[in-house]
Amino acid sequence: MSKKTGKFMLSLTLVFGLVATACSSGGGSGSKDGETVTITHYTIDSPDRTFVEKLIPDFEAKHPGIKIKVTKAPYEQFDSKLQSSIAAKNAPDVTSHWGYGGFMEYYNKGMLMDMTPYLDGFKASDYNIPDDVMNIYKVDGKTYGIPLNSYVTVMLYNKDLFDAAGLQYPPTDYEDKSWTFDKMVDYAKKMTVDSKDLAKAQYGVDFGFGERDQRPQYFGADVYSADTWTNGGKPSEINLTKPEVVEAYKKIYGLIWDQKVSPTPAFSKSVSGQFGDPFLSGKIGMSVVGSWSLAASSNFNFKVGVAAVPQGPNEKVRSVLYVDPLFILKDSKHPKEALEWIKYLITTEVQEKSIELSGGNPPVNQKAAEKYYSNFEGIDPAQIKQVFEGAYKYGFESYNHLISNYSQINELFINELATVENGDKKVEEVLPSIEDKLKKLLERVNK
Amino acid sequence: MSNLALTKQLPVKPKKARAEMAQIIGFLILLLVTVAMIMPLWFMLSTSLKTTKEMLAYPPSFIPDHFAWGNFKELFINTDIKFGRQYMNSLIVGVATVIGTVFSSSFVAFGFARYRAKGSTFFFMLVLSTLMLPYPAIMIPQFLLFTKLGLHDSLLPLILPSFFASAYMIFLLKQFFTTLPNELYDAGRIDGCREIRLYWSLTLPLSGPVLATVAIFSFIWSWNDLLAPVLYLDSQENFTLPIGMAAMLSSKFRIAPWNLMMAASLLSVLPIVVLFAIAQRRFVQGIVLTGIK
Repeated sequence: MSKKTGKFMLSLTLVFGLVATACSSGGGSGSKDGETVTITHYTIDSPDRTFVEKLIPDFEAKHPGIKIKVTKAPYEQFDSKLQSSIAAKNAPDVTSHWGYGGFMEYYNKGMLMDMTPYLDGFKASDYNIPDDVMNIYKVDGKTYGIPLNSYVTVMLYNKDLFDAAGLQYPPTDYEDKSWTFDKMVDYAKKMTVDSKDLAKAQYGVDFGFGERDQRPQYFGADVYSADTWTNGGKPSEINLTKPEVVEAYKKIYGLIWDQKVSPTPAFSKSVSGQFGDPFLSGKIGMSVVGSWSLAASSNFNFKVGVAAVPQGPNEKVRSVLYVDPLFILKDSKHPKEALEWIKYLITTEVQEKSIELSGGNPPVNQKAAEKYYSNFEGIDPAQIKQVFEGAYKYGFESYNHLISNYSQINELFINELATVENGDKKVEEVLPSIEDKLKKLLERVNK
Repeated sequence: MSNLALTKQLPVKPKKARAEMAQIIGFLILLLVTVAMIMPLWFMLSTSLKTTKEMLAYPPSFIPDHFAWGNFKELFINTDIKFGRQYMNSLIVGVATVIGTVFSSSFVAFGFARYRAKGSTFFFMLVLSTLMLPYPAIMIPQFLLFTKLGLHDSLLPLILPSFFASAYMIFLLKQFFTTLPNELYDAGRIDGCREIRLYWSLTLPLSGPVLATVAIFSFIWSWNDLLAPVLYLDSQENFTLPIGMAAMLSSKFRIAPWNLMMAASLLSVLPIVVLFAIAQRRFVQGIVLTGIK
């Protein structure tokens, strides 16, 4: 190699070193700059979360001593980045359980700061947050999270398929007790074309009520003992082999394999990919799903309606609530300033602005929610409001927010129930083995 | 005589026909395999040119009704995506990593290949044993180190480790360097070459194929790396392509923009295809010569 080439390569290396350094943002968190305090807000790198960056100039103008820095990670890597940041003592100040882990997991790992001492003079009613929603993130009277967005479970239906089958649209009123699970199955039968030809096949209902371990709750059965909700999300007993739980799972998976009105996993993956929602393909009549699916309704290739989740055997619970809070992490050096940022985000004005900026996130502030209900093209705002109000009334918080080490538990259910979903095994064969494995898992993680 | 020749040639005919038939069948099989290999690529191209509504339609169309070239433009003008910036960041990291890996690893490999010293085998085994350490095992200590150095949220933590050699590349290069004849080095020494010149002016110029292999491997690894960039990079301005593309599928509350994702995928495979096309001959030679697959 000639001297010239050697020099060239050396210069190239140095130039790249310089360029790479120039591309850095300076390194370090730079939390203090004179009197100014920097609060780090850690979120998923997705437009419906990163929109908060657009609110920063207004916040900083109103709070001259506080700067906000938004850090992000893709959804799949959200938890791992958070954990390594905490391990490296580089934790953000404000975040939420936007990854796989939930509130109780964060709480039990000691990641969260008790906000109570900083909440003097804070009233949930000033921000139009219902008390029961505010209480979700309290443990032993101490507040660990302040609600920001509240999603519920809704029923979306394909008006085109209803029209083609000559069926009446389902009601939006949760008090209309004629709208039952059995009636939903009857409707579903009339819309189902159970064919091996994917182009012809269509199904009546996709019953995605909560995660797999929460679904029996709709049928009045509970997988976990009642103390789970009061002892920090650590179930002392597992009820998977109790007859009412077994019956509930039989009904859930019976929709696929006995009644044949729900799509098989193979069908869903064929029409919508690995993680997609088969409802979007236009080949599902009704879908019981989280209200986030509403946000994409203007892109559907068919007319969509929203309805109440039908009355099931459990008279008290018909909807899973997904209330996303904001937490202050335990290592935060500026909890007061972090709380100012959180309070700013839940004011009526900012929550109203956030609906548009986020592309349709449901505000927890009930005054701002009025604006949210009129945000969906082609759907009557009064109907959405009625569905949301009913869902709040008959709602139960999602298990993934309430149970400790939920990501591991959920993975166990997904893997073990796959054989039932694929039609390879019966519910009765699988549940005892899940119970054993779950008990061992809980023993290990809740030590 | 001529009759004899004809009778002798007779059995050849069916053999030739059989050979031709085998060739045709072989060709058809290859054609089928090629189509099977091209299908995902075709689907990627087709989806990248679909509108959101057409992307969701079932059954999917193989050729879009309207070619939505705007998807490619969208990648570069959408401020939520910042694709251009991420592309540039990935290129910077990729090229710098190649430079770092090629020079540092070849330097170490040269030492192991050309010199014998007490304990050199032990040290070589020690270097090789680091191959058994998975990245997650060193992730947190390395993260702490770079954070303490104030390099968090910059591209340097992704580049700097490559300047401290890679065990796999050292092994690969050493394999090649040991095949270079000693006589060449003796001749170099007689001509007055210092040891460093033997490395720079003799070993490197003779190692084109293996250096191309190292360059391609290290570029691909750096180009596809997701975990380290996720750990070190916080600001979207500093994100590399794998994070940017993973982020496109981040929202569980929205329809995944598969059309934009496919457009981004198409553009992201380009540098690897170009690099492979340029270095293909040497790359294959390098793999053959070092016995590495």
